[in-house]
Amino acid sequence: MICDHCHERPASVVVTQSKNGKTQERHLCDVCAAHFHPFQGDFGNDPFGIQQFLSNWIVGAAAQQAGRPQTVEEGAECPTCGLTFKRFLERGKFGCPDCYSAFREELPQVFRKVQNGHVEHTGKVPESFSGRVAAERKIAELRGLMQEAIGSEEFEEAARVRDEIRQLERSLAEGGDQVDLD
Amino acid sequence: MTSIEKFLQNAVTPWMGSRGEHSDIVLSTRIRLARNLAGHRFPLDFSREEAEDVERQAAAVLTGEDNSFSCIPMDSMPALKRQVLVEKHLISPQLADPERPGTVILSDDESISIMINEEDHIRIQVIYPGLHLMEAYEQADELDDRLEAKLPYAFDGDFGYITSCPTNTGTGLRASVMLHLPALSMTNNMGRIAQAVSRLGMVVRGSYGEGSDALGNVYQVSNQITLGKSERDILKDLLDLTERLIEQEERARRALLERTSVKLEDRIWRSYGILSNARVLATDEAATRLSDVRLGIDLGIIEGVDVSVLNELMIFMQPAFLQQFAGETLQPGERDVFRAKLIRERIGMERGMEDKTEE
Ligand SMILES: [Zn+2]
Ligand SMILES: [Zn+2]
Repeated sequence: MICDHCHERPASVVVTQSKNGKTQERHLCDVCAAHFHPFQGDFGNDPFGIQQFLSNWIVGAAAQQAGRPQTVEEGAECPTCGLTFKRFLERGKFGCPDCYSAFREELPQVFRKVQNGHVEHTGKVPESFSGRVAAERKIAELRGLMQEAIGSEEFEEAARVRDEIRQLERSLAEGGDQVDLD
Repeated sequence: MTSIEKFLQNAVTPWMGSRGEHSDIVLSTRIRLARNLAGHRFPLDFSREEAEDVERQAAAVLTGEDNSFSCIPMDSMPALKRQVLVEKHLISPQLADPERPGTVILSDDESISIMINEEDHIRIQVIYPGLHLMEAYEQADELDDRLEAKLPYAFDGDFGYITSCPTNTGTGLRASVMLHLPALSMTNNMGRIAQAVSRLGMVVRGSYGEGSDALGNVYQVSNQITLGKSERDILKDLLDLTERLIEQEERARRALLERTSVKLEDRIWRSYGILSNARVLATDEAATRLSDVRLGIDLGIIEGVDVSVLNELMIFMQPAFLQQFAGETLQPGERDVFRAKLIRERIGMERGMEDKTEE
């Protein structure tokens, strides 16, 4: 069978769509299927796939906010790539890594649905990242020590701690993977 | 050397082999890790410059320090070659799209393929023959460490590895196993199984299509959840499920043999007869017959044909491979003729070798 859309490549995927209570089958090739149903590959035959969920959410949110100005409906906007939260829901894809910070408040709801209730990463952490987090924690701890030293007028000690902080900050700025933490 | 021998020499990839644990039922294991670079928009929105920068950085890490990888930009390849890589499962159809900037970094033995600028900046993929989830993951993990040491990965303290699509966020890990389940299909068990599997946060689908009408009774089982579970837990759950499916398939095979032995033998030998003699073979028929013959080999009904031949033929009977074998562009009708020819010659080659060893 040939793809219903491009009429070029062989159909390899059957996509079932429910619209107004009617079920429609489309036979698509891999390329067209990935284009029209970006989640199909991940969601298989689940009729309550992410796209449907996300579009329901938009309708719900729009109804709730009917009286409010347009800007609220668009939701947060990513300062780096300009993607709005509403647009993200419509297309189901982020624009850039910074979108995660821009939409941080709303994302647990999204993940709860598309990740079976899970909202927090518990797997592998890149070494450079764990090194960075550890370095940032160490700096915060040293700042406290420095304040204490100043408070008790141990200026020599305070200066030593200050130098240590500066050194850590420098290596963080240089990429963070060379941070020496003992 | 015959044309088919020449073709096979250039086309066979180690993962099509028949070695590996449970290789009678498990065709292959695949691990995929999705990674992205901070400071670059995702491929759906990025500019040419961003694309080139991602490619340059990733290629420098892998092709710089050892020469077992080659970096192949998609626009440097003719369409047929790209399609061959898709049919070998080394790249996705999306990456092969010539309108987009995409590159694949391939290991010499083709067990590792790193897709650059597909949906994510980097997708590390490792394919092993048979059931080898942990080994394949370790290989991918090690490559990930090498890349991570040199590249500014986008990672979030709460959400983990940042990906373009929220269905990959967290570990970015998609682990999948390709299974040949003819007995469970013949006994109409796959619908029930697909439902049960989805409740476990995993998914079963036909590896070349969707749902129950899997081509050649080959199914792909993979994890659906990437967030909130560690890599080890994802792999362990998939391994448990795979082992249960293998057990059920084995039980269904025994039941078929006991209850319908003659009918089953008849079906298998008929399929063997068709593959050895047919002059026109459409994809679905070829796949069904190959599945039967493979089952016949597994059950000891057919002897003297290596299972790896069937693994190969499932791949080679696809359009781009057929055209490479034919050395020319083929219309759909002509493909069916070449498909029959390829299968006939390949099975004939096996039989020929057997005759020789018997002499
Ligand atoms: Zn198409
Ligand atoms: Zn963004």
